[in-house]
Amino acid sequence: MNSMSMAQVASSKESVSQANQEYLLQGSIIASAVEHLIHRLRGLCDNVENVPETFHDLEVCMSMRQPNQVPLQVRVRRALGTRDLPFQLRYIGQPELDRSRPTLVRSSIDVGCTSTVLEFLTELGCRVDFEYVSQGFLFRKGRMKITVAKIFKIIPGKQNDSEPVCNSYLVELSVLAPNGQDAIGDEMRIFAEQLKPLVHLEKIDYKRLGNIP
Amino acid sequence: MSREEKQLEMTLDAVQNRLNDLKVSIGAMVHKLETEYEFINWPTFLDNFALISSHLTGLSKILSKEICPPLRNRTVLPLMLSPERDEALIQLTQGRVPVFSHDIVPDYLRTKPEPMAEQKMLQNEQKAANLSAEAAAKQVAQHNKVVSHILDMVSKKREEWDIESSSRAGIQQTSSMADTHALVAAVGMGKGLKMGMPMSVPGGGPGSMMVPPAIRPPAPMSSVSPGGVSQLGKAPSAIKTNIKSAMQVHPFQR
Repeated sequence: MNSMSMAQVASSKESVSQANQEYLLQGSIIASAVEHLIHRLRGLCDNVENVPETFHDLEVCMSMRQPNQVPLQVRVRRALGTRDLPFQLRYIGQPELDRSRPTLVRSSIDVGCTSTVLEFLTELGCRVDFEYVSQGFLFRKGRMKITVAKIFKIIPGKQNDSEPVCNSYLVELSVLAPNGQDAIGDEMRIFAEQLKPLVHLEKIDYKRLGNIP
Repeated sequence: MSREEKQLEMTLDAVQNRLNDLKVSIGAMVHKLETEYEFINWPTFLDNFALISSHLTGLSKILSKEICPPLRNRTVLPLMLSPERDEALIQLTQGRVPVFSHDIVPDYLRTKPEPMAEQKMLQNEQKAANLSAEAAAKQVAQHNKVVSHILDMVSKKREEWDIESSSRAGIQQTSSMADTHALVAAVGMGKGLKMGMPMSVPGGGPGSMMVPPAIRPPAPMSSVSPGGVSQLGKAPSAIKTNIKSAMQVHPFQR
């Protein structure tokens, strides 16, 4: 069910000390073409014979504001629908947008934790910044992870029917790797090339998207 | 008439400039090969080649331009040939061509085809002369038939490809840049997700009325889960956190 958290928890356990860089490419696909993309990804990725893994997660972004400092942001992710899976706590650093690199690179630390993490963070002084539900499919190819997910806004008062942010699915191609492993970026670029023209995976600096309505 | 002449002059000027550039770079290359042949490396050698080829490209661009008058319609005629040394010519060609004689004119002015081509031409002409008029007409007809057949095939394929590529352009809209940006901004910064946050307070569980939005406990986290945490369990936690957060306005400043 919630293979996303499981995979990330598993990978984070063995790699907290080494794999601390996330290489990331992002794109989107219009809902009507998602079937087509899933079909192609099933052919391209590992475990062709299995049905694609699905996930349905809630992510809460919390931040700790201190005077005269950049707010510290952490994300807590949990699976919806099952209660016995661990929560996942994640720190994402500032993206490095080195032009010579084929992907966006940012530091990323993932830890599995219990469900009390939210209370713990609140007591530390963190406040909820925003939250969303992401529901979709997960694929793997080697150490690359590909997610195709719809992002839902949480509407207060109406917990059962959430409203999608837009009609497209978010497509992310990411790899967690130790610092300095730049060869993986080229591998990802080649893979992204194979998904064209369905999806255009690019490195996107979301800090620059601030003025988009 | 005068316009045409003007154009011709302009073209010739441009061509001459290009040829001079080409000459200079070939000269530099030859010089390099003669003086630095021991330690010249491939990259510089290839750079030189690239330079020369760019000059050639420029030259062919000038010649293929539409304003260029058709130079091939003009003929160059040797007006006077002489077997004696011509000092002016030597100076003009930087000592390369000392005499303008019968020997070299066919090569330099291309009044004669290349030996290979000449031989081929001769062979073909002989063959043609041996053919009877009837057989020749038959062959021409056959040749035309084959060529038109090939033309048909090519144009048919081209039509097919055109249709294919146009239909592909129609399918292509499977991703939208605006949607990508909206999604990335939402996931990365919570753009469009934060709007509803203050609204959530009145509609929230019991007890949350007193909690300002900024220090709201993570109530939706549990409330979204279907049957995850009961309403009873949530209310006390909200109140508890409220007290804590009020005390912790500057948690790390002591």
